[in-house]
Amino acid sequence: MNLKRRLLLSAVAVALSGSFTAFAASADTIAIITPSPDNPFFKAEADGAAAKAKELGYEVMTLVHDDDANKQSELFDSAIAAGVKAIILDNAGADASVAAVQKAKDAGIPSFLIDREITATGVAVSQIVSNNYQGAQLGAEEFVKLMGEKGEFAELIGKESDTNAGIRSKGYHDVIDQYPDMKMVASQTANWSQTEAYTVMESMLQANPGIMGVIAGNDTMAMGAYAALEAAGRKDVIVAGFDGSNDVRDSILAGGIKATVLQPAYQQAQMAVEQADKFLKTGSTGVEEKQLMDCVLINADNAAKLETFALAQ
Amino acid sequence: MRSSLIPLAVAALLLALPGCKVVKNDTNPGATAATADPIATLVNATFEAKLLPHIAKTALPVADLRAAIATDLTAAGAAHGNRGAGEGAAWAFAVKGEGKVISANLTSRARQAEIDTDGDGVADLTLALGPVIKGTALRDVAPFYVFGDFRDQIEFAQLARALNDKVSPLLVLPEGDIAGKSMTFTGVVPIKSAKDAWVVTATSVTVAR
Repeated sequence: MNLKRRLLLSAVAVALSGSFTAFAASADTIAIITPSPDNPFFKAEADGAAAKAKELGYEVMTLVHDDDANKQSELFDSAIAAGVKAIILDNAGADASVAAVQKAKDAGIPSFLIDREITATGVAVSQIVSNNYQGAQLGAEEFVKLMGEKGEFAELIGKESDTNAGIRSKGYHDVIDQYPDMKMVASQTANWSQTEAYTVMESMLQANPGIMGVIAGNDTMAMGAYAALEAAGRKDVIVAGFDGSNDVRDSILAGGIKATVLQPAYQQAQMAVEQADKFLKTGSTGVEEKQLMDCVLINADNAAKLETFALAQ
Repeated sequence: MRSSLIPLAVAALLLALPGCKVVKNDTNPGATAATADPIATLVNATFEAKLLPHIAKTALPVADLRAAIATDLTAAGAAHGNRGAGEGAAWAFAVKGEGKVISANLTSRARQAEIDTDGDGVADLTLALGPVIKGTALRDVAPFYVFGDFRDQIEFAQLARALNDKVSPLLVLPEGDIAGKSMTFTGVVPIKSAKDAWVVTATSVTVAR
């Protein structure tokens, strides 16, 4: 009797879980909206989210806003019209994105933000961001150490509309400005772009031939700067980046760029999807809206363990 | 959540300005508290009153903390430490001890001493001695500084920096070489894994003459 009842219960459980999976596969879609995958960081993020969503039985709708807030707004309209169940977003501007996320919320669609914060709380369900300030401090501490705490250096800043550009720059200066013999001779945006960083670095070097170090707000700019320095025969200049890309890993291993800071992009995107799934099933993520993830310093000691924005243990 | 800082800010302002006459301002009573730097006021109100006593009270001797971490980091953290905000953050532990200075770099802006605490002649921890103090250990060791109470990661980071700056002047070393001398210390060590090398952010140090 007891055994029969237990069997019956487990049969019901199997049937139930089976039907849930079938339901999810046929109808539920998660939209993943990110900046352009031309930057491998954003690609890793979109890939991580898509892999986890499929693993959990969702269809995936991948969209790219190209850091254009108007385009992002249109993509939200499309996602809402398509009846997606949740949105995973790396947003196109801390202020400008609030309205788009609110629009989805009003339509009953929860948003889960990764990488970049927005300037309002209570609009998105989750905001999981790398602790960019902590990461920038790590990078700056290594940069200062490599520079022997002295010398002329230049800073390449990211795209102004991206809140992380300013956060990283502040984090860098929080550390570097405590060393009176570190002299910043040039500071300019290269808009996260490798080609722009190359051009900017060329002119910075012409104006300031005494430069001994370059600290960049991300890895693509670090790559561009290093290429320009290499072309000018200045491989002695210490270059540090931010993101933990495979390109910079390879450069570090080859003795080029000296350091970067890993943001666990892949894991972060997966966490966001897990939270979306939990929220859809239970009505709560069980965690705070704003969540930080610590960054990790990457240098010659551990670069070999880095692969696609994840560090092997 | 942010509003929870304001009563603290007001209290701290009153404490910080004992010689000032408080002038009533009917038109805009909140103005003084609102324009003051909330982090500076928070730090002034809590650094000596709460943080240093918390570190002194919870500091374990080096050997005891090592043993607890070797057994089970998470259990040791829950019992004796506090975890920084966010996924992947380190446990921060208050620690105290004494040992022999094996070597020291006192010319860097971030001075360091390598200390042997177990008497085997080999340094087993690094003591960070300022004036530039790295990291967020002093903030993270305190359960009363909570990320959610702050506007964003910048403000939360400013707190860590402000606490580091408060500790800096407390770390006074004698002139000249300290290698070979005995040193007693209290501080905070952030630990992510039991294998981590120990870098202790000192909150007090005394070098034997």
